[in-house]
Amino acid sequence: MRAFALICLALGVVVAPLAAAADDAATLRNELEKMRQQFETVQQEYQKAIQSLSERLQRLEARPLTTSNRPVVAQLPPPGQTQVSQPRLQELARPRQPFALAQRSGAGQLLFDMGVAGDFVGNLVRPRADDLNVGTFAGRENRFFPREIELSLFGQIDPYARGEVRIETGEEFEDGVRKTEVGLAEAHITLLTLPYGLQLKLGQLRNRWGLLNQVHADGLPQIDRPNVLVRYFGEEQLVERGAELSWVPSLPFYLEALAGIFNGDNDTAFGRGSLKAPLVTGRLRTFLEFDDAGALQLGTSVASGETAERLRSTLVGLDAKYKLIPPGWRHPFITVAGEGVYARRQVNVSEDLNGDGTDDVFGTRTRNRLGFYTYAEVQPWRQWAFGLRYDQTQILLLPGKERAVEPYVTFMPSDFLKFRLAYKRTDRPHRDGFTDGALSARTADEFLLQAGFILGAHPAHPF
Amino acid sequence: MRFSPWLVVTVLILGPWTADGEAQTVRVVASLTDLKALTEAVGGELVEVDSLARGTQNIHDIDVRPSLMLKLRRADLFVRNGVGGDPWADPLLVGAHNTRIMPGNPGYVDASLGVAIIQPAGPIDRSRGDVHPEGDPHYTLDPANAAIVTANIVEGLKRVGPQHAALFDARRQEFLSRLDAGVARWQKNIEPLRGAKVVTYHETFNYLLRRFGLELGGVIEDRPGIPPSPAHLANLITTIKEQRIKVIAAEPYADQNIIELVARESGAKAIRLPSAVGGVKEADSYLALMENLVSALVRAFR
Repeated sequence: MRAFALICLALGVVVAPLAAAADDAATLRNELEKMRQQFETVQQEYQKAIQSLSERLQRLEARPLTTSNRPVVAQLPPPGQTQVSQPRLQELARPRQPFALAQRSGAGQLLFDMGVAGDFVGNLVRPRADDLNVGTFAGRENRFFPREIELSLFGQIDPYARGEVRIETGEEFEDGVRKTEVGLAEAHITLLTLPYGLQLKLGQLRNRWGLLNQVHADGLPQIDRPNVLVRYFGEEQLVERGAELSWVPSLPFYLEALAGIFNGDNDTAFGRGSLKAPLVTGRLRTFLEFDDAGALQLGTSVASGETAERLRSTLVGLDAKYKLIPPGWRHPFITVAGEGVYARRQVNVSEDLNGDGTDDVFGTRTRNRLGFYTYAEVQPWRQWAFGLRYDQTQILLLPGKERAVEPYVTFMPSDFLKFRLAYKRTDRPHRDGFTDGALSARTADEFLLQAGFILGAHPAHPF
Repeated sequence: MRFSPWLVVTVLILGPWTADGEAQTVRVVASLTDLKALTEAVGGELVEVDSLARGTQNIHDIDVRPSLMLKLRRADLFVRNGVGGDPWADPLLVGAHNTRIMPGNPGYVDASLGVAIIQPAGPIDRSRGDVHPEGDPHYTLDPANAAIVTANIVEGLKRVGPQHAALFDARRQEFLSRLDAGVARWQKNIEPLRGAKVVTYHETFNYLLRRFGLELGGVIEDRPGIPPSPAHLANLITTIKEQRIKVIAAEPYADQNIIELVARESGAKAIRLPSAVGGVKEADSYLALMENLVSALVRAFR
């Protein structure tokens, strides 16, 4: 009996854990089964979702184009920020056009524009004008030469200012010598965000004076600048160092007001070259549109400074320009413009009073001079224009006046290439300055030729 | 200190004009009429919109007139085409003396941001004429681009008129819904022409043709900005005959004599297509422009 009890106890000890283990296995199987079912459920849900998305995508692709289902650039980059893309190696390795970099986006992009404008001129004159150097291109008579080859770099400096640099070369005649030098033509910044709609341009710049002063040689309406402007401002015109403030008030009509203060470096008109007695300039410009086709610009300018002799020199100008572009035309049909300049200048009066061989200044006089030009141009076809200019100018420091008439024809194969031919006849009734002994060039007949080109970007010219 | 009586009089006269009053509406100037129309579509009565170019003008030949600067002087927002389509806007912006709309400021919108621009093939130089190095600027002639362009415009409108932000969004959605309906109709109408070739005067309609499945069969002005040579015209006439191209499409400002010559010699039919809103009298809105373009093409192929 005792032995039987011991055997039962031993069996109980052995079997009891086995029964518990069997219960655990069943529980585990149940849990695994549940997990499997859950997994299958999730799998089915995912399959349904994927199938649903695939069907939706197929429906979308099958749908005709709509604008509302297209991706939209809702969040734009900040103004001025452009999309950036990395250039591929083969793009970097490929030979480039001279100015292709300016148009690239992404790495390697130049953040400014550049352009080259070339202007070549030639003239044929009679020997007398050649010998006396009194042709339109003084000292370069009977020659073909580069008048103005300029490299322009321009663009936005930052949100507040624009910058522009022009480097220029060309054949010049100075002190009896012809030479070709490279120099700084312009370099200026324009502050764009001043209060009250003001803008300030400072540096070395072509002054906005009259119609043509700020126009470069390649943009002139004729081959040469009108005589009155050359006589009163010199061949280089008014290119000054200083600052120019401009304002366009918010009026029902267009009005631009300019005021400037400069060194007065221009030797022909001023020459003092000091801010102690600065050159002060001003200009008012307005604009009238008669209809969609015709428009008239009117302006008045003033410049007052001191000459190298510390005497006052003041110039006042009036200008007008009318342009007619018939509806549907891509170019102006008729352009008529003109400009008048009144010059009032104090000059020293000198004479050799004491017989020492040098002139002695014994007083000052005021010279009042007047000059004007007007031209009309007809452009019946896009590539061809025909015009006529008339000049009449009282010589600034000499007696008498000169008159010139200049018919011309322009051929423009494209917006970037231009050829011009002109005949110019100049009459000078007074002999001073144009006669040397037996030589006289009081009447000059000239044939003028121009060839101009633009490479790359070039800013649009104003009206 | 002396006061000039003239100065006082001037200030009294000009003062009221120079003050920019509190405007309820946003004053917008768009460089091109398509952008004007799209701004009107999303702005409704909340905006006053003007454009610098007219619909009948060639956008490449806009004169830099001070009267255009005057428009920009008063604007709260300037919407430009970009991609070299309105380079004349740069001197106008400088001349306008309006800080608000200068690049980098809240009132400046380049509508081309985000648009997939058709790029010129091959290397570019001026031997190919006045090509646009940045790509084809006539992207508004693809109605699919209107979603991106109006998004850009609405972002700009919100910057200068944040109080109307919700309305601008709602108007844009409403406009795009109408445009969708139009696109579906136009695609259905033009579907029979899929693959047909069209000769154009200038490469103005590339986006339009691509969107509606038409092909460019040739260009009269093969080098932009330069009148076509007789040799090119002769080759083009031969191509039109050989490929049996039926339609020559030209902008309102294209040279009528040359179009008539090519049409007469080749036997193709010449039609005038508006290149922008306002290009023809009927195309007085963006939807009307697209309607006019599609229906004119469909009619021409009948």
